[in-house]
Amino acid sequence: MSMLDWAYWISQFLLALGALCAVYRVYKGPSVLDRVISVDVILIIVGSVMLVDMAYYRHTDFILFVVVTAVIGFLGAVAIARYVVVRTPDSEDTVRQAEAQAAALNGDPTPEPEIPAGTAADGAQEDESTSWFAALARSGFVPKRKDENDDAADPASSRREKP
Amino acid sequence: MTFDAFLDGTAAVFMVVGGLMSLAAGIGLFRFPDLHSRMHAATKPQVLGLLMLVLAAAIMWRSWAWVAIAVLAWGLMILTAPVSAHVVGRAGYRTKHMRADLLTDDELASAVDRLSRQRGVRREVKD
Repeated sequence: MSMLDWAYWISQFLLALGALCAVYRVYKGPSVLDRVISVDVILIIVGSVMLVDMAYYRHTDFILFVVVTAVIGFLGAVAIARYVVVRTPDSEDTVRQAEAQAAALNGDPTPEPEIPAGTAADGAQEDESTSWFAALARSGFVPKRKDENDDAADPASSRREKP
Repeated sequence: MTFDAFLDGTAAVFMVVGGLMSLAAGIGLFRFPDLHSRMHAATKPQVLGLLMLVLAAAIMWRSWAWVAIAVLAWGLMILTAPVSAHVVGRAGYRTKHMRADLLTDDELASAVDRLSRQRGVRREVKD
């Protein structure tokens, strides 16, 4: 066997191993996003197998597959990623337990209570460009929607007349 | 050693390196603990592995016209791979498909918190 034969069989073997690991992740993966990226990897590996075959036998039959895969291969992941469900509470509880353990290891036994929206305590991380909006929301100001004297049927005209 | 044999040897090395890249992606998908680190591993055959195999094929063909088409395939992959990686990573963060206990620093958390709070407040004011 020449050097090229060895390279052909070794690279096909490595590609097959990679594809097997990706198939395992598709089977096992906890979320649909893991499965999506694994399926993408399998698609790339199939294209790679075709490229190795084209290189070894010196033909160009499959190059169209590789080009088309490069163009539209990402659409599936983009489409599925729009519709992922937010993770369920029971799995979040395990994460929270791990966080509490980490906090206990770091020295403060009580985890930080969640800051409710719109309190003054979160002023530390506001930046100047949006602080006016947070102040407006905190003040509880509600703009008057329409005047009682005008007719309620046409709010646009009443807004135009009143400066 | 002739020039032809040199080109064949280069193509052989490129082929094996491309195979190693896909093996690295497979091991990464197999072993890594959460979505974003698996995404990091999954980009290896998309970019580097495909480049190696495309170069190997182009060397074996010995034709400049096919080199252009092979590099075109790789360039299109470079253009489209970040799109899917961005969307999948964003969806994974927003839907909490990640292990927050593995992060040393979460710089996105404060920005996401602020934006979601403002959106809720804005809806309140309008209605």
